[in-house]
This record gives sequence, C-alpha cells and structure tokens, in this order.
Amino acid sequence: MATSKKVITRVDWEKKLNDVKVRKEDMNKLVMNFLVTEGYVEAAEKFRLESGTEHIDLATITDRMAVKKAVQSGNVEDAIEKVNDLNPEILDTNPQLYFHLQQQRLIELIRNGKVEEALEFAQEELAPRGEENQGFLQELERTVALLAFEDVTNCPVGELLDISQRLKTASEVNAAILTSQSHEKDPKLPSLLKMLVWVQNQLDEKATYPQITDLSTAALEDPAS
Amino acid sequence: MSEATSQSEPPAKDLIGSYFLDLWLYTSKTLALKPETELKSEFEEEGEESPTALDTLNSSGGFSVVGPDKLSLLYPNANLHGHDVGVVQANRPAPLKRLLYYFEMYVKSAGAKGQISIGFTTSAFKLRRQPGWEANSYGYHGDDGLLYRGHGKGDPFGPTYTTGDTVGGGINYATQEFFFTKNGVVVGSVYKDVKGPVFPTVAVHSQNEEVTVNFGKDPFIFDLKAYEAEQRDKQQSKIDNVHIPQDASYGIIRSYLQHYGYEETLKLLDIAGKSTVPPVSVVPENSLNEKDGTYALNQRKTLRQLIKSGKIDETFSTLGNWYPQIVQDGTSTTCFLLHCQKFIELVRDGKLEEAIMYGRSEFDKFKKLSGFDDLVKDCAALLAYEQPSKSSVGYLLQESQRELVADAVNTMILSTNPNVKDANLCVHSCLERLIRQVTACFLEKRSLNGDQGEAFQLSRILNSGKKG
Repeated sequence: MATSKKVITRVDWEKKLNDVKVRKEDMNKLVMNFLVTEGYVEAAEKFRLESGTEHIDLATITDRMAVKKAVQSGNVEDAIEKVNDLNPEILDTNPQLYFHLQQQRLIELIRNGKVEEALEFAQEELAPRGEENQGFLQELERTVALLAFEDVTNCPVGELLDISQRLKTASEVNAAILTSQSHEKDPKLPSLLKMLVWVQNQLDEKATYPQITDLSTAALEDPAS
Repeated sequence: MSEATSQSEPPAKDLIGSYFLDLWLYTSKTLALKPETELKSEFEEEGEESPTALDTLNSSGGFSVVGPDKLSLLYPNANLHGHDVGVVQANRPAPLKRLLYYFEMYVKSAGAKGQISIGFTTSAFKLRRQPGWEANSYGYHGDDGLLYRGHGKGDPFGPTYTTGDTVGGGINYATQEFFFTKNGVVVGSVYKDVKGPVFPTVAVHSQNEEVTVNFGKDPFIFDLKAYEAEQRDKQQSKIDNVHIPQDASYGIIRSYLQHYGYEETLKLLDIAGKSTVPPVSVVPENSLNEKDGTYALNQRKTLRQLIKSGKIDETFSTLGNWYPQIVQDGTSTTCFLLHCQKFIELVRDGKLEEAIMYGRSEFDKFKKLSGFDDLVKDCAALLAYEQPSKSSVGYLLQESQRELVADAVNTMILSTNPNVKDANLCVHSCLERLIRQVTACFLEKRSLNGDQGEAFQLSRILNSGKKG
C-alpha cells in the first residue's frame, strides 16, 4: 500500500527555486576552494585576478604540489626532504604516512632492479617499523615479496608496482600537508553534490517533484507522471 | 543591417534584465538595513524568536514565585500534594528551524526535598504538575534521576541532581530526540513523541527550592557548539557514502568558468587538467555543450574586465561595436544598470557634481522600470554622505555591485547566441542551478517534517572547517 506523495508541479517547483538567492561571491569562494585544494596553482592565481576572490597564500600550494609531483614521479627521497622542509612535524606525527613513503622508496628501488640496495633498505629502515606495528610488518612482507618473482607485473603483489600505488601515497602526503596547514583536505564541491543526491533521495519518499539527475548539466527533469 | 539587430528587442531579453534588477532590489533591501554586517545570522534569516525568559502570564496557580529578572524560580511554602507543583514554562516555545535547541537550569538550592525538574511541555500542559507526569510532556527529575514522559512512572535515565548542579535540556531535530545534560555531560536522550511547539519548562516542588534559568544570555556549561559539530558530522558521514561520478566537480567548475567568462582561468585549468595523473577526462572539443559554453568567451571576458575596473563609458562603446542589439534600446534594464554604475563610479572618484549632472540627464528615461524609485534613491543617497562606503547604501560601492552589472551584461551576451532557444537558460550557471535545487529540496523536506530542522546554508558549508 503506497502512502500518497505530495505532488509538486514544475511550475510550483520553479517558483521555489526562484525564491532561492545564491550570492555570486559564495559561488566564487566554492570555485576558489576547489582550485586551491586540488592544487591548480596557476588557475587559482588567475581566478583571483579575474574574479577578485581572495584565498590563502599561494606559495604553500606550490610547495605542496612539488611534494605531490615528486611522489608521483617516484622521487620519494626528494619528496621526504621537501616535506621536512615544509614542516618537520608532519612526518613525526604521522607514522603511517612515513611508513608508506618508505615503502614507496623500497618499491622504486625494486622497480629499478637495485636488489641489494633494496634488501639493505628493507632491513635497516623498514623492518624496525614493522616490529612496532603488525600492519606495517604485513605491508613490508608484501613489498619484499616482489623480489621473489620473475614476472613482477603478473605476480600476486604486482599492484604495488602500479602507478596507482604512487598516486595513493601522493594523496596521503597531500592530505597530511593540508591538515598540518589547518586547511580541509577535501574540496567542498563534491560534498555539496553528494548532499544534493542524498536530499533528493530523501525527498523522493515523500514528494513527487522535478529532479536533477545529470549533475553536469543540472537539467531539471519533470516527475514521471 | 544583420537579422539580429533588425528585429525589435524580443521580450525574453528584458526578462534577463529584470532578473538582475530584482536581484539588486533584493540586495538593497537586505544589505541596506545593516551596512556593516553583510550576512544576517543564520537564525535571524529564519525569522524565529527564541525563548528569553520565564513566562509570568500563565502562572501555575501561584505555588512558586518567579524572580524579577524572570530567570529565577522559588518555591516558598511547603508542598501538600502532587497538584501544587511550581512549574513554569519559557515565554516562547523552542524554535524549530535549526539543528538543536538547548537551555540550562542551575540549582541554587534543593530546599527540603530536591524535587526539581527540567523538561519540555506543550501549551496544553496543566501548570500544577511535574513535567513528564502528564501526556505530551517530558521531564528529567532531580530527586530520582528518572525520565518521565507522559505518566506518573518514570524510566531510569541518569544521575540525580541537587544544589550546585547545572542541568540542561535540549532538542535534536535531526534525530527527533530530547536530550539532557548534567554539569556539561550528556546524560541521555529519548525519542520526541510530541507534535507541535514545545516549551522549555522547569519546576520546583518542595520548600525553599530555588533555581535559575539560562536561555543563552550567558555561556552554557555544556559545550553546545562541540555537540552540534558532532551531530553534524554524524549526518555528514551518511552523506559521504553517496556516490557521485568522478570528475563531476571538475566539469561543473569548468562550466562555471565558461558561463561567467573567466577565460584565462579556464585556459590554465584545462592545461593543468591534462597533466594531472591520471588526466582529467577532457570534454570533447566539438560537443554542443562545449560550443555553447565558449560562445563569445573572449568578448565576455573583456567586458567583465571593463566593468570590474569601472570603465563604463568604454563598456558602452564596446557593446555598441560588438553587440549593438543589447544597447540599442536606451531604455532597457541593461542600460539602466550601466548608467547607474557610471553614476556610482563618478561618486567613487569624488566627482560629485559630474555625478549629479549625469544622473539628471540619464535616469529619467527609466522611470517606468519596476524598482526604479528605490534603486535611484539608493544611488542618490550616496551623495549625502562624506563617507558613503560606511553608510547604509555603502553596498553600492562594493565589488559585488560591479559584479552584478558584469553578470547582467555577461548574460545578455550569452543570450545573443543563435543556438540558445530559451534566453532564461543563460541566467544561471550549472553550479547555481545545483545550489538552488539542493536548497529547495532541503526546505521542502523540512516543511514536510513539521518545519523542524535546519535549512541548507551555503555559507555554513563554506565556513565549516572539517579538518582531516
């Protein structure tokens, strides 16, 4: 037995939409927030000039992006140095992040065929961490396992060599830097989009009304009659 | 003469003009009241009043005495039975349009038996019974620490409380619960099974019991803000699990930049998007949406820059060269907006006499526009002050006004695109349509829920600091 839903016509719904006043400067702030947290430095600076929207000091974004890029390109030592230059506390207070960076370093050594160096590194730098933490130990063992296989890309732990592993680590570092700078690590726009999807689902239970199903066009679709 | 200019101005175009005029009027009404603060507090916008004191009109048969500040309550005599409770409600019911409502009670003296309570009751409540002893009432009692919700037998709930303790009562509209605190710590919560407005209520019942109430004038012992943030985070984690297409945000940002003509930013974003790892899914360059989005992008960027730097004369001449159809009707709303802006720029430069002459020669022909009186009055008022930016019409001198005019011109140019069927579609960017939809949905959802709970507030999202 279906409970009756309130029916809101397109005309009535559009009236409700027209009653909503959105401030242009709020939208600009949302855009700037996106450009900054996602690290689009030049675009953010240009947006500041074109729209007059203020933002945090861009220099910090440049540094953060340099770290991210270093990890994405596999230069983990360089990345670690840069992070410590930015703020030595970041790695001190983030043992998991530090471990993942060291793990990435190990992966890169293995990728470059430097077997002896890799083993030395694993024993001296990573094994002590593994002793402190069961999770780290398991990760370490997985990584070292790469050495056991001829065809590394098709082995059970082959995904560690995938570029996605670098990206994961890069994201982690990016977030940690943002947090240490007291900025949120996520842009607000995706959250807003999720709210839209969520509230439409909620409202759907009680009312029939025009909805937006395609976020990229924001076209209003009439309720199915 | 091209086809576009040989036609008379289609009425659709002035719909655009009047949209921006209405927007200006709205800004004028809301900003003109408070020149310093741009945003009313969230709660003021909702227009609800909160309880501020104990009610002295509906007395509870005179068993207790409300102090002269209307924030204290005393039970002077000895009680005789269960129908001489000194119970008092607040002067107003708890407001609905927010996430939480909260108030506190401090026990100055537990008197003979400590039969004090705090809770919520409706307007129908018998003002001689403890809150919770009657239907549609809830009370957390100090003598036994039980929660009463509608009959004489209470449920185990929390600790007892006595002299020196501060207890609080609150409503969580999201979870539809009443919650109570003691000395800054949450004691528990219970489902709010009562419809309609409820009044914060306190009661005293044995001799010399005395309490004081705080409706927010003084800081609460309980950290309400932290609790509120906690509750919001709980809601938020439900929302976080929602799936949205990857790169949806990137596409919406691009479309925003295209819509408003931020050409240089768009170029840099596109370059950066191609070199991220992995590259953002690039929009096919010949898709229909892309062509419409980049229509007259360079021209729109140029005109926005002119207006934002206050060069209105140059704006008029450039429009005359590129889009004569927009300015050919000298009495259009677009022309009105531009002439007003010129006036404002003259005042900004201190050229008051020139401004007056300009106004006199230009404003009159727009007399028929709706809102003309109010808006011209606002402009003229700038002349009256030595420091106009600090006056009630100071908003005219801010960037937001230039922005409004730039957006209006931007939309007018977009509407000259022969591919555009409905000029109204040019008014709002995709982002704006999304924000309007989410706001309207939350409002409708709240309205269907007895108007309880908070609305969607973009400013709250922007100002929230969800640290990683």
